[in-house]
Amino acid sequence: MGAHLVRRYITESDTEPDPAKKYEFDSLYGFPERKEREMVATQEQMCAARLPLEQRDYCAHHLLRFMKCKRDHWPNLLACSNQKHDWDLCEHQDYVMRMKEYERERRLQLRKKRIQGQAEAA
Amino acid sequence: MAGVGFQRWVRTLSKGRLSGISALLTPCRAASGVSKDMLPGAYPKTPQEMAAAAKKYSIRLEDYKPMPDHGEGFGDYPQLPNKSQHERDPTYQWDHMDLRRNWGEPMHWDFDMYIRNRVDTSPTATSWNSMCKQLFGFLGFMMFMFYLGHKFPAYQPVGPKQLPYNNLHLERGGSPDVQPEEVKNYEI
Repeated sequence: MGAHLVRRYITESDTEPDPAKKYEFDSLYGFPERKEREMVATQEQMCAARLPLEQRDYCAHHLLRFMKCKRDHWPNLLACSNQKHDWDLCEHQDYVMRMKEYERERRLQLRKKRIQGQAEAA
Repeated sequence: MAGVGFQRWVRTLSKGRLSGISALLTPCRAASGVSKDMLPGAYPKTPQEMAAAAKKYSIRLEDYKPMPDHGEGFGDYPQLPNKSQHERDPTYQWDHMDLRRNWGEPMHWDFDMYIRNRVDTSPTATSWNSMCKQLFGFLGFMMFMFYLGHKFPAYQPVGPKQLPYNNLHLERGGSPDVQPEEVKNYEI
């Protein structure tokens, strides 16, 4: 906890990624076969469901299913625990992906610095 | 008595300077307000006058100090300490328990200001200096910490939230005529 802040402000302030800036390395750098994320819900569906903007992410289709289930099974809200679990899992994986993106950027920055140091030493 | 009053009426009306009710009222002093013997006397200058004034206000001569004579009409009225009645001993059997005041006691010029549900001059739990130090110390500390938090924000070690449809260009109010920058998000 907070180790990234220590690195960012004290120990490795030159390589730790800054969330306010755009990440330096391209998504496909050294990783050309990456699969693009797939968006299932259409813009019209999300608009019709009046989702708030922060929920119109790659898990919106799970949320739409969950909301539809709640509507159909009201007042038995426990009937929708499967849909809720699907949506929660999707959001969790989305967050994990963001953590991995951060770590990827950090390690690429470290690698860049290491290569530069070797070039200067040689 | 009635005849005297009637004669005065006739005299007043026959002078003819004023008319109506005001003409009847002018020779009469208002019954409201204070009489001359209730007003403070002249500012005491000699020791004899001081002694007389102190006796009049039932204060010992060494305790008597008249209000400063700046022409404000205080006369020989005594200057009493600016202490609220709340400071006085509540367990003592005062003649007037509610005002905490004895009969015949000299009254502060602003007595109505210092009664128990108005100004309270009793000492505070901590001194004014200490209170200032605590308040401004706390405020200063908080300002410093806010500055630090602004300078070095804390955040979670995650990348930015990935959103579809070119970061929700249309949903965020972008114009449909403008072609937004293509945003592609990949699985990892």
